[in-house]
Formats: sequence, C-alpha cells, structure tokens
Amino acid sequence: MNHGNSLRIKKSTLLWLLVPSIAIYTFVMIIPLILSFYYSLTDWTGGPTKAFIGFDNYRFLMKDSLFWESFHNNLIILLFTIVFQMSLAFILTSLFMSKAMRLKEFHRTVIFFPVVLSAVVVGFIWQMMYSQDYGIVNTVLKSVGLDSYIMPWLDDPKVVIYAVTLPLIWQFLGIPMIIFMSAVQGISKDIYETCELDGCTGIKKAIYITFPLIYDTIKVVIMLSISSNMLVFSHIYVLTGGGPGTSSMVLAQYAYKTSFTSMQLGYGSAVTIGMFILSFGLVLVFKWLAEVKK
Amino acid sequence: MNRNYSKFVSLLIVLTLAVSFLAGCGGSNNNATKPEPSKAAADPSPASKSSNEKVKVTFMNLWAKDNTENIATSVRAALAKFQEENPDIIVEEESIGDQNAYYTKLKTLAASNDLPDIFISKGSELAMFAKNQTVASLDEILADDVAWKEGFLPTSFNDLSTAGHIYGVPFSMLATSVIYYNKKIFADAGVETFPTTWAEFESAIEKIKALGITPIALGNKEQWVANSCVLSALGDRFTGSDWFTSINNKAGAKFTDPEFVNGLAALQGLAKMGAFNKDMNSINNDQQKTVYFNGKAAMFLEGSWAIGAVMAAPPEIAENTEVAVFPSVDGGKGAAKATSGGAGSGYAVGVKGYATKKEAIAKVLKAISGAEFAKDLAEKGEPVAYKVADYDKSNVKSLAVKYADLSAELQFTPIYDSYLSPALISQMNAGLQDLLINSVSPEELAKRIQTEYEKGN
Repeated sequence: MNHGNSLRIKKSTLLWLLVPSIAIYTFVMIIPLILSFYYSLTDWTGGPTKAFIGFDNYRFLMKDSLFWESFHNNLIILLFTIVFQMSLAFILTSLFMSKAMRLKEFHRTVIFFPVVLSAVVVGFIWQMMYSQDYGIVNTVLKSVGLDSYIMPWLDDPKVVIYAVTLPLIWQFLGIPMIIFMSAVQGISKDIYETCELDGCTGIKKAIYITFPLIYDTIKVVIMLSISSNMLVFSHIYVLTGGGPGTSSMVLAQYAYKTSFTSMQLGYGSAVTIGMFILSFGLVLVFKWLAEVKK
Repeated sequence: MNRNYSKFVSLLIVLTLAVSFLAGCGGSNNNATKPEPSKAAADPSPASKSSNEKVKVTFMNLWAKDNTENIATSVRAALAKFQEENPDIIVEEESIGDQNAYYTKLKTLAASNDLPDIFISKGSELAMFAKNQTVASLDEILADDVAWKEGFLPTSFNDLSTAGHIYGVPFSMLATSVIYYNKKIFADAGVETFPTTWAEFESAIEKIKALGITPIALGNKEQWVANSCVLSALGDRFTGSDWFTSINNKAGAKFTDPEFVNGLAALQGLAKMGAFNKDMNSINNDQQKTVYFNGKAAMFLEGSWAIGAVMAAPPEIAENTEVAVFPSVDGGKGAAKATSGGAGSGYAVGVKGYATKKEAIAKVLKAISGAEFAKDLAEKGEPVAYKVADYDKSNVKSLAVKYADLSAELQFTPIYDSYLSPALISQMNAGLQDLLINSVSPEELAKRIQTEYEKGN
C-alpha cells in the first residue's frame, strides 16, 4: 500500500510513546515483584532489620503442609468453578441462542448483575444465607422436609470449602457467559442455517457447531478463570477467615496471614512467589493440554 | 494468547504488589483521620499566625466514633478537655472499630516504620515492635514525672514491658475472661448457684441443654475469642501461672506438658458435650452476645469490656445477668479465684513521633491515662489501672458493681495473647478452631503449638 509511508512513525518516536506505559508497568509490576523476591530471601519481620537467609524460606515452603493444603483448596475451587461455571455458562449461552428463550435482556442483566457487586458484600450476604439459625439455606431445607441436612454450613471442615466455592461460581457466572455470547454472535448465521437444513437442532447444534467454533474462546476464559481463582481472597476472608482451623485457607489468604497476622513478611513474600510459580505453572500446563487436544 | 498471558501476569503481580507494598500505601491513607471537631473549626480562623507553633499528635485507637463503651467515652472526654486546655497541641484521632482490621493496619504501619505518635497495642505486638525498633521506650517520660508513674497499679505495666523497658502506658485493667450468665435460665434448669467445681459446671451444662437452650454462646470466627476469653483462664486453672511464666521466659515449660494438654482437653470436652452453639466458628463475638441477648443461650464468655453492652441489653436479660469466673478443676495447679486479665493493651508511642515531639506526646498521654481520667472511668464502674482513692460510686450501674465485687477477690493471670508472639498466637488460634470442632486432638494441637514455639526461639 502506498499510503503506508504517510502513517509510518519513526522508531524513536514509537519508543518515546511507549515510555509512559513501560515506566508505569515497571514501577507497579516489575519492581514490586523483584522486591518481593528479595524480601523472600530474608527473615524480615517488619522494622528496619532484616537478615539475608538465602533460600531457607523456600526450603521451608516445600515442606509447609499448610501451604500445600491451601494450594489443594485452590485446586478444589478451581476445578469446581471450571466444571460448573463453564458448563452453566455454556448451557445458558445455548439457551440465549435459541428462539424459545424470552426476556433475553432481562435474564442477561440479572445473571451479570452479581459481577459488579463487591466481594465483601457478596461474602456477607452468603454468610447470612448460610447462618445456622436465620439463614435462608437452612430455612428452605426445613420447609421441604430435609431437616437432616440442616447444618452450620461454614463450620464443618468437610463441607466448608464447597460452601465458599458456591458464591464464587454464582457471582462470576456472568463473565464467561458474556464472553461466550459475544463469541457466539461472531459465528456466521450461514453455518447455523446450513446445519438446520441438514436437520441439526437444539443440543446437537450446541455440541457440533457452537462448541467447536468457540473452543478458542473457551480456552481463554478457562485461563482467565485459573488466574483469578488462584488469587481468590476476599470472599473467603469475609465468609470464614480461612476457618474453621485452616480448612478453607487458600494461598492468597495464607500469604496475607503469614505476612500481616504473624508478621513474617519474609516468609510471606516467599509464599507469594510460590503462589506465582504455581499459578504460572498451572496456566502453562493447561495451555499445553488444550493445544494437544486440538 | 499473549494478551491473556500478560493479563494473567499482571494480575499476579498486582497481588505481589499488594502484599509487599500495602506497607507503603498504608501510611498515606488518611481517609479515616479526622481532626478533633473543635479544632477543625478553629483551624481556618485568623489565628493562623500561631498555627506554626501548633504540634500535631496523631492518636490511633480501636474505638469507633460512635462507640459507647465506657473507656471510649472517657478517653474522648479527657481528650476534649485536653484540647481546651492545650490549644497548641492538636490531637488527630484515627479510629478503626474492627479489631482485626485495626491490628492489620497497625502491623502494616509498623512494617514501614510509620507508626502513629500514640496508638493502642497489645503487649505481644509491642514486644515485636520493640525488637524491630519501631516503638519508643517510655522509661524516660515516665521517670520525668514520678508522681504519674507511681500512680499506676504496680502490676499494670507487666503486660506492656519487654526486656526491662516499658513500652506502653496502661489505661485500664481488664479481665479477658468473665462468664456472663443468665440466672433465670440457670434457675429454670434447676441450678440455683453458679457451679464451683468442674463436675457441677458440666452437670449444669447438661441441665441447660435439656431445656433446649445453648449453654454457652461462642463466636470464634475471628479466632481470638476462644484464646483470650476462654483458654487463657481455663488453661491457667490447670497449669497455674508459674507454668506460663516459664513458657514466657523460655525457662523449660512446654506446651506439651500434661497440664496444658488437660486444659485443651477440658475445652474440647465442653465442645464435645455440646456446650457451645454449633456455628461457633462462623459467628463473631458481637453475634455471640446477640445469641445471649435473645435468650437463646445461658452464658457467654468475654472480657470485662462487655459489661457496657450487657447493661444496654433488653432489661429482662440485663437484670438477670450475673458475672462469674470458671469453677476450679480437679488436680489443677491454678488458683480458683483467678481469671486472665491485666492491662492487656496500652498506649504506645511510635519512634518517629517520639523523636520530634516528646513533650507534647507525654502531655497527651498523661491526659488520657492520669488521675483525672482514671477517676472518670472508675465512676462509670470500670476497673482502672491507676490508683483512684475516692470516687463517686453512685452512678455505677448494678452489673458493674457485681463485677467490681467479683474482681476484688480475683487474682489476674496472664492473658496468653498479650505475651506470646503473633506467629505463635496465630497458630494457636487456628488450632483452637480445629480443636473445638474435634478435628484435632489436644495432644496433637499441643505438639503443633510447641513446634511453632520452638521455631521462635
């Protein structure tokens, strides 16, 4: 193209234009990460004195059962979110595509609405819902005669991790749904028409047309889901504070607790770096798996 | 895919940033800081010529602006009076009502060596701050005013001293474990007087349970309640205070000692027999009082600070409430007429402010801890850390009188979390939740605490 020249910007100008964003990124992201890594090599407990202790924190981290327990909890949350949130979102998307669905705008708004709520608000609401004496969950169970299922939902270590996952699935259901829907809208109408002529309807349309055509989008959404679920904090902080004991502790909360409740800032930084490595590893593994499948 | 990577990486880094740099941001967060109302109005006035000489003293506390606890109102009254008398000193208050949030902020400020001029802190935190040289030793200003120093009760500095130096000025003496019980429910259950032995206590609990009422309301979501308000006193019944002194001085006692394990076992025993509400680990200490105020529980355990709240409760509850401490236990080494208590927390001074405005800080401290303040507090029926010879007892409300009578006979034993390191307490608190739901045995928990204790050596 000829007019390409007129739009060409000198390389030096280009660099200068990039400087502000690079500077912000460096100061807000890169430097803290490096500093955090540096802190993780010390025994800092706050205050001016910190001694360099090499990789001792990491050696301890490898053997720290609580760290791995927290990671395990993160994985449970992640698994449930991916399985239930993604499939629900996909089913809803298919419903939205079908002609049978009425009041699409209304449904979309209602489903997306919780996304904009503050995590703390959501935490408090669910805490009330789970309440043993006044909570709606137990009231509903009672009214349908399932009295034997009534329990303090946030007090049983076997149940609590699922109880805190549910609000997460509920709140963020809107995000994958909206992304899926926009991806589906990008699919050419011709394809659907052609397949309808071939007698493909309903579920088959979803499985054989929609799913393969938005597969790349699904991958992206799952990756986003992995990264956000590895960082989950506020909901659990409000709902249980990691309890009872440590049974609903997740990595972000463990890092927070080590750093600011126990004041082991050096070790807390090591936990954060460990978290970073684990999350990054998870995304890489997922990416590799997803590529192979194709 | 790259865009998603960078998105993901940025999310993670934001977290890293949050963890490592909250410290830095905390200091500049002045949203909650409000100047004293009287001074705020006076500030923009023409008196700007003299404003250069004004000294600003920041005071961070955990009494929300609308807090009606006696201690909060007394401190605010003393401050207002102080402001009138000392126009050259401006006390800027920052109040954070939530205890967990308060201590999180405090520790964050400490990590960046940005502690306020005056703040409230527990002894255990003070010891750590002192080690990190972020709080000032108050030996000098106390020595400068002997009358003030001598005015305090002799034991009141115990919780606030470390390595032979005093780091905090006490403002009240409190018991952290008091049993508030509803005598009407006890009578309904056929228990006429509060049990004096452990066996009687257990049988009383069984009888109350038979009425369909929760014997003890416990709200341990924030994890400190089971430790401060229950275990500190109950543990001492079994171990005696000498054991704890030895623990604190690292002089040989162990958390795995049978006495302490017995204490843990007794706590678990209560939980096993259904003495507590089932959702004890998901409600907090305010909610535990609500359960009691609704008449759904016969007892709750909290510190003496809850007296005010109980007196503000519905009359049929408030009038029937009595106070007691744990009964004696078989074979326990601790005194029976004792409960965990002491100054607990006190005012401490950040090292930065101390360096530049020592005199002003000392003046403020005297106003909010000295004789006048203590008298005001005592007249409301609160236990004080300062010797108050004669004060007007007519305004003291009934429950406070009952508490005063009780505490006169009591001996105070150490509050665990005023002495032990935050890392150890954090381990212990989480473990107590596990213990209460029977997912760890007392022996196992004792071992865990001991491991953490040895790590800190």
